[in-house]
Amino acid sequence: MSHDSETSTGSRKPTNRSASTTSRRRFLAGSAAVGATALAGCAGDGGDDTLTVGHVLPTSGTYALLGESIMNGFDLYLEQNDGQLGGYEVETVQRDTSGDTDTGVSITREFLVEEGVDALVGPVSSAVAIAMMQTVQQESSAIWLNANAGDYRVTQDGCMDLHFRTSFNDWQTSAPLAQWVYDNVADNVALSYADYAFGQNSKTFFQEAFEEAGGEVVDEIAAPLGTEDYSPFLGDIEDSGADAVFSFFAGGDAVNYITQFSDFGLDENLTQTGSGFLLSEDTLPAQGEAALGKYSLLHYTATKETDRNQTFVSNYSGEFDRQPNVYACQGYDSAQALDIAASNADSTDASDLAAALSGAELDSPRGEFSFDPGTNEPLQSMDVREVVEGDDGVENEVVATIDDIELPDWGCSL
Amino acid sequence: MLAEFSSVLRATMLGIQLGMTLALVAAGLTLIFGMLDVINFAHGSLYMIGGYLGVTIASQFGSFWLALLIAPLAVGVVAAAIEVFGLRALYGRNPLYHILLTFGIAIMVQGLVVEIWGGQSLRIEAPEMLSGTVSIGPVQYPVYWLFVLAISTVLIAAVWLMIDRSDLGILMRASAHDTEMVDALGIDVSKVFTGVFVFGAILAGIAGVLLGASRSVSPGMGFGVIIEAFVIVVIGGLGSFKGAVYGALLVGLVTAYGALIAPSVTDIFLFAMMAVVLMVRPNGLFGATEAA
Amino acid sequence: MGLLDAFDPREASPTTDGILTNRGRFGVLALIAALAVLGPIAASVRPFWLYLLVQILAFALLALSLDFVFGYAGLLSFGHAAMFGAGGYAVALLVTHVTPNALVVLPAAVLTGVVVAAFIGWFSVRARGIYFAMLTLAFAQIFYVAAFADLPASLLGVETVTGGDNGLVGLAALEAFGVVDLSSRLNYYFLTLALVALSLLAIVRIANSPFGRVLQGVRENEDRMAFIGYDVERYKVIGFAISGGFAGLAGGLYVPFQSLAQPQLLHWTLSGELVVMLLLGGLGTLWGPMLGAGVVILLEEQLSGFTAWEVILGAVFVVVVVFAPQGLAGVLVSLRDDPKDTLGKVRDALANYREKVLK
Repeated sequence: MSHDSETSTGSRKPTNRSASTTSRRRFLAGSAAVGATALAGCAGDGGDDTLTVGHVLPTSGTYALLGESIMNGFDLYLEQNDGQLGGYEVETVQRDTSGDTDTGVSITREFLVEEGVDALVGPVSSAVAIAMMQTVQQESSAIWLNANAGDYRVTQDGCMDLHFRTSFNDWQTSAPLAQWVYDNVADNVALSYADYAFGQNSKTFFQEAFEEAGGEVVDEIAAPLGTEDYSPFLGDIEDSGADAVFSFFAGGDAVNYITQFSDFGLDENLTQTGSGFLLSEDTLPAQGEAALGKYSLLHYTATKETDRNQTFVSNYSGEFDRQPNVYACQGYDSAQALDIAASNADSTDASDLAAALSGAELDSPRGEFSFDPGTNEPLQSMDVREVVEGDDGVENEVVATIDDIELPDWGCSL
Repeated sequence: MLAEFSSVLRATMLGIQLGMTLALVAAGLTLIFGMLDVINFAHGSLYMIGGYLGVTIASQFGSFWLALLIAPLAVGVVAAAIEVFGLRALYGRNPLYHILLTFGIAIMVQGLVVEIWGGQSLRIEAPEMLSGTVSIGPVQYPVYWLFVLAISTVLIAAVWLMIDRSDLGILMRASAHDTEMVDALGIDVSKVFTGVFVFGAILAGIAGVLLGASRSVSPGMGFGVIIEAFVIVVIGGLGSFKGAVYGALLVGLVTAYGALIAPSVTDIFLFAMMAVVLMVRPNGLFGATEAA
Repeated sequence: MGLLDAFDPREASPTTDGILTNRGRFGVLALIAALAVLGPIAASVRPFWLYLLVQILAFALLALSLDFVFGYAGLLSFGHAAMFGAGGYAVALLVTHVTPNALVVLPAAVLTGVVVAAFIGWFSVRARGIYFAMLTLAFAQIFYVAAFADLPASLLGVETVTGGDNGLVGLAALEAFGVVDLSSRLNYYFLTLALVALSLLAIVRIANSPFGRVLQGVRENEDRMAFIGYDVERYKVIGFAISGGFAGLAGGLYVPFQSLAQPQLLHWTLSGELVVMLLLGGLGTLWGPMLGAGVVILLEEQLSGFTAWEVILGAVFVVVVVFAPQGLAGVLVSLRDDPKDTLGKVRDALANYREKVLK
């Protein structure tokens, strides 16, 4: 019995990945006689004709849905291309990081040293990404397609030619909204955010941009990550006297914050805005009507009416029986980026792949975007969305698109 | 000044409500410990199963009330299975091994929940008649939150009376105090054990459904609540229902006020409070002195 | 009734006179020698094994340190992550700001563990059983929150100390006066193996010393020990501090190896996992918990490619605790004593289970 990703697709539909899987895994699942297990099997690379991809993603814990969506998106692109990227057979390995930083580092190391992967996809959590940097740099044996972790420090402190953000950075999902809020919503805001690195970054980026636009920040409210009852914080927001709020919360925090915001009647006097994760496909079903009329900024919106996106949505929902979310798009684009890299480079060598992907353009469901040659950050448009009643519950509607955004380079120039 | 008063009022109401719902979770934990010495890491999982079953029942049948009725009973069935097929095999052995057993069960439940319901946060739809807010002084407070406060308080009061007054309660306390004596009286103690375990699980399941409509239901909630519940039980004194209620109120209020004063270190207040209580009273507020 | 009474020595430690018999010691020496040989083989055949082995050794040391107080002295610590994490953070801070010299940072990790454990122990030893457990857990969680919220930075008025939720990353490799290069995986493995072996030796000696006998006496009957004139609380604090030193060393070895110190190292789930390693391996045997650590880490590593791997891992714990009352150590000991009757024992265990469940 093999431990490979093929056995672990779970609710995901199996996809036709490479045929070489049976030789890949080593241990008899049943043999708990641990000492002996390590002796069987063979290491390493699938050979020159194979592109080995390692998913450093969570499939359990708080971020399980995100990890699964990224893998689904990746699988969809792979399947559409007959299991090949850039002419290479693709072989995937997957391990559950559980969102834990130490586990993420160990898995990265295992993928690079033991599995000899050519590309890493992931992680979800920024803390994991920051901790991975050193290992990826030291081994320098795989291109790194960062399919979600948005902390700008990966570019500021890492500035690695192997690292490509197929997702977004935390500046993009906060700062560009400031001018729009100032022009269309209010000239004063309160800021509320989950009190960890990502929330703090988002808050700071928005604040800088909002003040630069001429607006005033009247209060800042930090709630611990994983807060379940927001009523004391909502009281502070109400008492601040602001006309609007900008927030960063994600996942379960976003569900609790938004529904309680509405339960406590704050909608009457305040306009809620935020980073797109506050009101995204994974939180909206639970938020329901509480989300109506709230604005957020993100690079992907499943309801966007472009042909490219509609095709993606129908393919994805045909395959997985559910709507895609931003994470699925990021997974899909990670596969697409690897496709471009491998076919341009005609090689599976990490630095060849990276050189071939630098500055490349992607025809993504989110809209076309390219990698900034100086930082490998995605140069992309951002959608301002409003939550409206849809046919099937509430959904986001794009009300404005912000183009030609000039990204900071955080001192990185590749 | 007015703003400050409204903040304190809002926090106080949250604190009491939290206290009462947490007491529902902690009650089972402390009763089970009192009788069986079982350190039940799976107790939070029972609370979580209550929330998830509540989501499914409420969305399938469109009725919050049905969920509130059925889901806790279903949790009771799960608990009975855990007690009979798991815990029972370990009675008479070092109670520490219950940690390994219940930790294992808690991990399994967390994995199963993601398999069945997926990793995203879910929510129970609160009934229409409990939507909206009411004004309490300067504070707008959601009707549903008041309902949770009221129903938890009523339940806790009812359980208190039952334990304090009824024959069943006396039997429970007697079994906790001296198992052999009760056994000698010809009462099947193992049935009492099962009954208490299931009863505690039902209370936790009720809390899971109630909070599933004001907070979200997510795979981490089982492990999230268990430490809070342990803190409550320890502050109150292991085995003491009364202690669990007071402990829960303390924890609820400290959590709520902490969010006003210094949110990022609220947990430090909580643990420091527990440390102070235990340094003054090494067996908790109402713990029996010999139950070291 | 209560948890302390539950520390029946017959159940807690299968070896009744002293920790580790001569035969046991021989076995441990043989295992250490085997691991020393395995290192270079792994390095050339499958380098990743070295990483896995270092990780196992660090957690084995941590489990050992906990078993010394938990299984042997009867102090139910649910907060050993505090000493592990504190030792780790101490090394991370020293490497970042002062020196990567192993001869400086590793003793500092031990010292940090001792100080933290003495502090926690001093506040906690009056409470017994679960109350003690929860106190240690509380103190460890306070450390966790302080690291996550970077409280030291706020208190000192500097930008960052602990690095908040991202932790401290990108640490330089350890060295020893430029003589030994510890960025080599193999060298680091040997260093870890040697220190873990020495720690085991030291703990066995302490356990079998007069001091250790007093601790054992405290576990068996605290009141009697106090009555015959021992300052029980002082013994407990000292025992806890000694254990903390080894836990700190484990953290000090683990953090530079991962090149990462992050708040999760201090979290109660790590303490909980550690208790699971002890119970799974065999409480109070010292070598059982080390085995338990290895098994848990290997299981997690092997299972994490499965869906629902948590269900499998949890089921393993449940099966072991129900059918192997003295953990893996108990199973191994009974296999050694009477290898022929294995099938009979399995049958007995099943019959026993049926009887208890259906009674």
